[in-house]
Amino acid sequence: MIAASWITLLAPLGAAALITLGGTWITRRQAGYLATLSVLVSFVTALIAFFELLNEHPEERSHTSTLWTWLTAGDLQVGLRILVDPLSIFMMLVVSGVGFLIVAYSIGYMDGEDEERRFFAYMSLFVFSMLLLVQSGDLLILLAGWGLVGLCSYLLIGYYQERPEAIAAAKKAFIMNAFGDATMVLALFLVLQRLGTLEYGGVFAGIDGIGGWAITLISLGLLGGAVAKSAQIPLQTWLPDAMEGPTPVSALIHAATMVTAGVYMLVRLNPIFEQTPGIQKLAAGLGALTLLVAGLIALVQVDIKRVIAYSTMSQIGYMFVGAGMTAYPNAMFHLMTHAFFKALLFLGAGIVIHALLNEQDMRKMGGLGRTLPRTYAVMLVGALALAGIPPLSGFFSKDPLIASLLDAGGYGVLLWLACLVGTFLTGLYAFRLIFIVFGGEPSPYAREHLHRPGTTMPALWMAWTVGALAVLAAFGGWIQFSPFWTPITDFLEPVAAPGIEPSGMQELWTSILAVALGLAGILLAWAVFSARRVEVPRPAAIQRLLEEKFYFDTAYDYAFYRPASWIAAAAIRFVEGPIISGSIRELSEGTRLLATRVSGLETGLLRTYALALGGGAALLALVFLAVRA
Amino acid sequence: MGPDVSWYIVTSAFLFATGALGVLLRRNPLIVLLSLEIMLNAANLALIGFARHLGDTAGQVFALAVMAVAASEVVVGLGLIVALNRNRLPLDVDRLSTLRG
Repeated sequence: MIAASWITLLAPLGAAALITLGGTWITRRQAGYLATLSVLVSFVTALIAFFELLNEHPEERSHTSTLWTWLTAGDLQVGLRILVDPLSIFMMLVVSGVGFLIVAYSIGYMDGEDEERRFFAYMSLFVFSMLLLVQSGDLLILLAGWGLVGLCSYLLIGYYQERPEAIAAAKKAFIMNAFGDATMVLALFLVLQRLGTLEYGGVFAGIDGIGGWAITLISLGLLGGAVAKSAQIPLQTWLPDAMEGPTPVSALIHAATMVTAGVYMLVRLNPIFEQTPGIQKLAAGLGALTLLVAGLIALVQVDIKRVIAYSTMSQIGYMFVGAGMTAYPNAMFHLMTHAFFKALLFLGAGIVIHALLNEQDMRKMGGLGRTLPRTYAVMLVGALALAGIPPLSGFFSKDPLIASLLDAGGYGVLLWLACLVGTFLTGLYAFRLIFIVFGGEPSPYAREHLHRPGTTMPALWMAWTVGALAVLAAFGGWIQFSPFWTPITDFLEPVAAPGIEPSGMQELWTSILAVALGLAGILLAWAVFSARRVEVPRPAAIQRLLEEKFYFDTAYDYAFYRPASWIAAAAIRFVEGPIISGSIRELSEGTRLLATRVSGLETGLLRTYALALGGGAALLALVFLAVRA
Repeated sequence: MGPDVSWYIVTSAFLFATGALGVLLRRNPLIVLLSLEIMLNAANLALIGFARHLGDTAGQVFALAVMAVAASEVVVGLGLIVALNRNRLPLDVDRLSTLRG
């Protein structure tokens, strides 16, 4: 099992290295096959490790393995240590399984691009980084994985190097993530100072001895990292811009895996977070705020990928609410189903974008349901799963998560209400997308530019992977139907036991309400955006507020960017100009002046030199005598 | 025993001052060279005087070395003067001032 886990981790790294070193020895298509194969190897070995783990007694399902000592500093030794337990196996399966389908889809989607090798090398490196993150057995290795996925996301968002917006988006994502990394590093320093170790076992054993303000700061710092990586308020603005990357990247990084790393950390480090219930409540509150704000913004976006991106933020908001209120298994289950249906939606959107020759503006789309019936069908599955309509996967994961909040007292009820409002918004924005893109008559643009995906090799790769994801999105939720059968909760129990569990009645009523609200959202979307075209009042102020994304970007612009550029301009004016450039200019002028004075001493007359020499010697002799005396 | 060492020193100082004044004041390079020789020989006189006074032959060896150096220096100096003359340059050290800064 240990060996299998190491292969899971290292196979994508090997593929990335091979593609990079192979250069033109490997053709573009071979690079795609190699990357896909490596992730498939990861998935298969993760499955092997999973079944081996299942054979063991639930209490003994935790193994660590250290390959070598990575660094030594005084008493601190950090090994390249992986931890294999139910939680990491769960994440390994999700990351490598969904990752495999997305990388395979990329073979079709990226066909004909200029630099496919670079793309597939980055993709493999990303899968490796994400696996390192979820398999790490040490906070420092976790941080290394954390930083590596940030790097890969930077590289992949900026994949279209010739587009200035892509580069700007890549930098924005990197800086936002670096902010979270920094708070995490500070938290780790504090852990190291207090406990002298960063290994999970040692940290969890000693964490309740810290207490006081230190533990609060540690939790807060870790939460900062989670919030930045998972694009929650207030560090959410990078995610929609990150849609500048190729569509499979959006699916892999910004929907299925990377952005859920924050949720994974909240669950993995639950012994730390449980020391500070206030910070956990803060995480849940931020999640609830994000799910509402993102759901509202998604209502007015016109870029098909941005709508899905805001939906991702919103769904991760649910997971934060769950993980924050200690409903860990529900959060992880929702993470899994979300990976299925969100990857499906992104990849379906990718087919639409391809069919319309890279057009992403929904206002130019319309009536694609007739020309792309199979894409329409899978997108419908994805949207229904997203809205939580039974029997699709979202229903099984989202509703128990919301219901469990009722077990958490007054604050929980507040979050419960926010989540229910969120389900209404989810149905509304998901089906706004469906009706605008697929419903009605074909738009003039679509009629002119549509080119149907044929049965060429690339189109087939895209088709079968999307089909597989559609099956997963439709039936993947049946694994767990609480309270009747709960294998995921039982499997994760030793690592992350839930702190709150709803009663059967709470589940029932929440499910009824959530499904009803989701259906109401769909109905409203149908009424407004489909055949009826009901006029709804759209107050200009609110419309503008949503289109400006609640002015977060503008506020950050005013709060950070503008002061920074003012300071820079002032520094140029008052420091750079007069002091630095000025001092250099004056130094050079002074030197030149001194040199002209000194050169006056060079008379060219031999006797003055001789006199100077003799006078100097005489003076030295006098000084010597005076000192002797 | 000859005169006291102080006589030698005084003579040497007088010769050295004469040579130094000659170097500083005269303008003919030939005379400047002669004055230089006088200065060197003043130094030789002091060396030998002290060697005799202290009964140490090291001073005499030094004087021999100075003579050898002085001979070479005169060769170079006279060569320069001949070269100046051949090129019809003025034999006046004050007018050879191309190194003025």
